[in-house]
Amino acid sequence: MDCYYAAVEMRENPELKNVPIAVGGDTERGVLCTSNYLARQYGVRSAMSSRKAKLLCPELQIIPMQMSLYKSISNQIRDIFRQYTDLIEPLSLDEAYLDVSDCSLFGGSATLIAQDILNEIFKQTGLTASAGVSVNKFIAKVASDFNKPNGMCVVPPHKVIEFVQKLPVKAIPGVGKVMQQKLKDFGIENCIDLEPFTITELGQKFGKMGVSLFNRVRGIDERQVCNHREAKTTSVETTFEQDIKIEQVNAELLDKLSIRLHARLEKENKPITKLQVKLKFDDFISKTKETQHGHFNLDLCHEMLVELAKQRPVHKIRLIGIGVGYGKEAIQQMQLFEQASSA
Amino acid sequence: MHIIISKEALLRPLTLVSGAIERKHTLPILSNVLIETSLEEVKFTGTDMEVELVASAVPGNVIQAGAITVPAKKLFDICRSLPDNSEIEFKVDGHSAVVKSGKSKFSLSTLPASDYPNLEEWSSSEKIELTRHALRALIESTHFSMANQDVRYYLNGMSFELEPNLIRTVSTDGHRLALAQQPIVNGLTEQRQVIVPRKAVLEIIRLLEDDDAVIQLHIGSNHIRIEEQNFIFTTKLVDGRFPDYRRVLPQGGDKTIVADKSMLKEVFQRVSILSNEKFKGVRLNLSNGELLVSANNPEQEQAEESAIVDYTGDSLEIGFNVSYMIDVLNNIKTDTVKIMLADSNSSALIEGYDDGSSLYVVMPMKL
Repeated sequence: MDCYYAAVEMRENPELKNVPIAVGGDTERGVLCTSNYLARQYGVRSAMSSRKAKLLCPELQIIPMQMSLYKSISNQIRDIFRQYTDLIEPLSLDEAYLDVSDCSLFGGSATLIAQDILNEIFKQTGLTASAGVSVNKFIAKVASDFNKPNGMCVVPPHKVIEFVQKLPVKAIPGVGKVMQQKLKDFGIENCIDLEPFTITELGQKFGKMGVSLFNRVRGIDERQVCNHREAKTTSVETTFEQDIKIEQVNAELLDKLSIRLHARLEKENKPITKLQVKLKFDDFISKTKETQHGHFNLDLCHEMLVELAKQRPVHKIRLIGIGVGYGKEAIQQMQLFEQASSA
Repeated sequence: MHIIISKEALLRPLTLVSGAIERKHTLPILSNVLIETSLEEVKFTGTDMEVELVASAVPGNVIQAGAITVPAKKLFDICRSLPDNSEIEFKVDGHSAVVKSGKSKFSLSTLPASDYPNLEEWSSSEKIELTRHALRALIESTHFSMANQDVRYYLNGMSFELEPNLIRTVSTDGHRLALAQQPIVNGLTEQRQVIVPRKAVLEIIRLLEDDDAVIQLHIGSNHIRIEEQNFIFTTKLVDGRFPDYRRVLPQGGDKTIVADKSMLKEVFQRVSILSNEKFKGVRLNLSNGELLVSANNPEQEQAEESAIVDYTGDSLEIGFNVSYMIDVLNNIKTDTVKIMLADSNSSALIEGYDDGSSLYVVMPMKL
């Protein structure tokens, strides 16, 4: 979807169409989720702090999120997808991979199917979307960004190599700032620069990511579109209005997080194998810690948070998170006493 | 203070009380031993504010009575390194304590006795008497199941339950539970239950001799005290509610296995070698007359051993942490053990055959 949250807000309130807007938190510490194209002209970007955005674009209107609305429209869009295929892998509320190999509509032409989906979305929701059509997830994803908004980019099999060779490495999903810098240190900025390296060389230099890079620059991506991604973890977190000290993390605060976590755990209902905690410090550095544990234990989470805070005693805390992981380890010691987990 | 005392007379109480004294402490005086001298006896006190130990010695000669504190570990090391049967002269001289023996002379730093922390005043509300052997047996049969540094702090200790004719100890780490009991005469009029901290429990095992000498156990609201001929041991209690063991004693287990304890222990020990090092899980397959114990680890190695046991009934597969099983078998005193099971999700009840003095509950593992 094209600037999804912002587009929804403009649909709900047409007056917003001709002003720069963003959706997110309009507090001192808020962060933006999306902005419309007008705002983007000022350099406003998603994940930017609201303060910085306001500096770039003083007349920017920041609209609070209406998550339930975005969710319900997202479900509407997913229903549209289902008319074409069952192989849908949602990446977020407004993005999904669709495998249409087995779809017989339009003579099986993926290009025509994609165009029809875009039309259908516009007809039913009044929102525009963009599509990438190609032979695998990687190329399709990159291509979907090419003719935004309300556009489509088709990369047929014989054009794949040519398409990839023109890409900068940062276009490859998974290559973030850190990886980009690492590659740059080796003189690699574009995908074509990666071609001379063997899979072994890349593997040694960049580990798993190196192997993946070797494949990507050859247009190879074996990942299947899978419609049942198992959650490996469930977690909740909270950012404070003002940075706090670890001593201020008290039972009341943890209870609130625990209640939110439990609401989500009930839905998952899977055997827990580990506990995780997270702290983000006042300098935006995050630290996490996890421990093997067969059930949720808030006291233990609290202890882990305290331990974690000791790693950086001079820094105050901006955010805390707690969560559980579901591992493959099915071995589990049973408890004598029923777990009063949040007691 | 000025006394003359033999090495042996000094070393015995010093060894006893130093158990309570930590070498490095934020409060310097807690590394010291308090020495108080009257004309008849020399009294030594060590404490870490949780536990207090007092032991006495009869001095050879008291030239001047008094009280002082000196570094416990240093005095102990000096005393121990002197030749046997040495006469030791201990004299406080200004801010120092001078220890002389033969041609050796040591000058130790001191801190005033008046600064030495006392466990807050307490009075024992009740008292029972039992033999050293009985108390040791109660603690030794159960201490291994205490939790260690659990967030449920009340599990990091041993529960003592006192009834009119009975004293019972219970310890549990939430996965397994151990219980022991001994009859007593002249017990408490009313039932009492207290939690003795882990460190104190381990200290009692270290201190207590195993014979039939009678000791006194005093129970206060926040402390307990053991008084016996060698020492007086006082500890604070853990303030908390110990879980009710009655709730977790398995009811209605219909599968009773009787087996030779040593044989079973050896089987577990052999099979445990190839169990998962972290989880220590072993699988038990029970069928008529046979218990098949098996284990495998992430390296895909496998161990399997069949044991002949006395059992008739339905088959059952159940998993356990093998260390818990070995711990229990190590502490059962009879040659034959009785294991009672219900199903693969219910705990096992393990007892010595025809021995009601202790019993053990172990929760299974999902393997």
